Amino acid sequence: MALSIPPTPLRGRRARPGVVRSVGVVLLLVWTLLPVLWALDLSLQTGAQAASKPAHYLPPTPQLANYARLLFGDGDIAESVRQSSVNIVIECVAATVVTVVLATLAAYAFARMTFRGRNALFYLALATMAFPAYTTLIPLYRIMTGLGLVNTYTGIVLVYVSGFLPLATWILHSYLSSLPISLEEAGTMDGANRMQVLWHVVLPLALPGVVSTALITFLSAWGQFLFPLVLSTDMSTEPLTVMISSLLGRHTVPVNLLSAAGMLAIAVPAVLALFLNRYIVNGLLAGSVK
Amino acid sequence: MKLFATAARRRRGVLALGLAAGLVAVASGCSNSAAVSDKTSGVTINVVESAEAPPKAMLDQFTKQTGITVKWTNVDWDSLQTKITAAATAKTYFADVTDVDWSRVGQFAKLGWFYDMSDYVDVDKLKADLPQLNSFTADGKVVGLPGDAMFMVTTVNTKMFAEAGITKMPTTIDEYTQDLKTVKAKGVVQYPLNIPFAAAEGLSTYWYETTGAFGGSVLTDKDEPAFTSPDSAGYKAAEWMIQAVKDGLVSPGEINTTDSQGQQNLMATGKVASTFSDYAGNVGTLYNVKDTSTVTGQVKYIPTPTSGGEPKNLDNPDGMGIPVTAKYPKAAAKFIEWYTSAAVQEKFAGLGSADQLYSTFSLPAHLTAVEALANGDKLDQGATLKQMFQNSTAPIFPGGAPTWYSSLSKAVYTNLHAAAAGSETADQAIKKIASTAKQLASGS
Repeated sequence: MALSIPPTPLRGRRARPGVVRSVGVVLLLVWTLLPVLWALDLSLQTGAQAASKPAHYLPPTPQLANYARLLFGDGDIAESVRQSSVNIVIECVAATVVTVVLATLAAYAFARMTFRGRNALFYLALATMAFPAYTTLIPLYRIMTGLGLVNTYTGIVLVYVSGFLPLATWILHSYLSSLPISLEEAGTMDGANRMQVLWHVVLPLALPGVVSTALITFLSAWGQFLFPLVLSTDMSTEPLTVMISSLLGRHTVPVNLLSAAGMLAIAVPAVLALFLNRYIVNGLLAGSVK
Repeated sequence: MKLFATAARRRRGVLALGLAAGLVAVASGCSNSAAVSDKTSGVTINVVESAEAPPKAMLDQFTKQTGITVKWTNVDWDSLQTKITAAATAKTYFADVTDVDWSRVGQFAKLGWFYDMSDYVDVDKLKADLPQLNSFTADGKVVGLPGDAMFMVTTVNTKMFAEAGITKMPTTIDEYTQDLKTVKAKGVVQYPLNIPFAAAEGLSTYWYETTGAFGGSVLTDKDEPAFTSPDSAGYKAAEWMIQAVKDGLVSPGEINTTDSQGQQNLMATGKVASTFSDYAGNVGTLYNVKDTSTVTGQVKYIPTPTSGGEPKNLDNPDGMGIPVTAKYPKAAAKFIEWYTSAAVQEKFAGLGSADQLYSTFSLPAHLTAVEALANGDKLDQGATLKQMFQNSTAPIFPGGAPTWYSSLSKAVYTNLHAAAAGSETADQAIKKIASTAKQLASGS
């Protein structure tokens, strides 16, 4: 016999948060995804369709001509897209590798070693995250000029590393601090030195944290505009994010082409975020629960 | 053992000190490290502009003539302004030739960020044929030469006007307004006038042009606001623009439309019948181009309607200048002289061979070149444009744009945008703009 349970005030109250949550999630999704979908819609339209009013909420005759022009066209645009895509990958991968290596060493030192001024140095490094980018732009530009590193991969990567190192160190410090120290002590008892303990004991355990840090660094580097804009002086080092802006004419805005270029630029971070989002969340929450 | 530890610590200390000293030396020694060279042959100069590169055939010709190779980089206008500012502030080389927009002339001259072109080129000789040279002169310095002849004009879709029974083009603001009302009343188009009310630079320039049409200018010779009185041209221009929204002559959606969007998405697609402050050259480069327009052959330039005086078309040109951090200033000057010459610009605009045509080039800066194009039938409505260029163009600020221009412009476009959106009246907008202008002019 089926029991019918009449709704109680309590059940009613429980149901409400679910509805509110669902509405909230839908609103959030609309808020975040609508601009991307709008750009996708425009990228599949011709110039005339994109300019028409009222706007087309779906492309009337979907076509990939804008993508083809950007990727396979004969002119300067396709060449620039190809070169700047290579540039952005090189710069982001190099910045990520260097940042993660340095951050791991720094985080381990701050988490496990005892030395004078440890906390002061750690918080000083973190404090640099509060500086707006514009405050360091000119000094960094002058330093890079002095070192002859303007318009080089090295210069751009070094600036990225200096910018992302504090956050990466913080994430890994939180992660390493949460690991049991007894395993490292066991390694030391077995005769391993600091670097051996770090390499053979700590890093395997901290791998999820390292992956999170690498992802967050890579995504942050991918989204950079101001620093590479100033530090790149031609197509040899200009990343895709900067190159896209040059599609704007002085008195014309090719929205369909710009939208297609935008979609290409977000493709890599979107795939990473989609498939590896748990690492990103882990990284951002590292150390929040002990 | 302790001795070794102390020695190791000392070594580390020395190493750290050395590293710090090195960094300080690098940082302090980073003033303009580019060596300046007077070479005018056998060098490569960097030209960074917000435009596609000119035809290869033309650049090759320049290299053959001078021995100077040109490396051209295209950066969008806004980003280029950031690069110019960053490089100048950091006293760092980034280009030998770059953009000098009319709106930044006062700032560049005052801060000494660009070489005085009169040190390299005989500017007095050019004056008669380059009407817009005044827009690049401030504090007695010529910080650039005009690279094109951009100025503001009024465009009308004559087919739409004809459908409303209007065949005689308006010459006064009153006639123009009445004609737009007629176009609307006859149902030819719901919103006949394009005013780009988005909070952006294009809105400011629209107001300057309208102010000129009402017979005045925005600032006095002493850079004080000339638009505070309800009788002033600037005040009337702002009122006219806001009233056009209230009267339904301008679409309410235009509060989010920039100047280029209005021209491309409204004027070029027949959604509006007129743009009071349009760009010279747009008929040829936008409205008569089948790929970008549905109104080919319909849009004409008309002498800017006024409140009674002579028609006035305000300059809005981009120029080319030499940053003081350039490596090859003399070679850069040779390039600018070549690029801005009448002979080269005629070829860019269509009087040369097909491989010399610069498709995105708007209008030559030289009167003689515009005349040659008009005579050669290579310029849409060339005769009209030439007449306007010769007789009615004028700088927006006769004494050059003030150093604080960007702050003034921001106050102009944010307040006129707010007035169009209905959150303040035209009077309130004008008062706020005036307050900002007074504050800026006083240097506080």
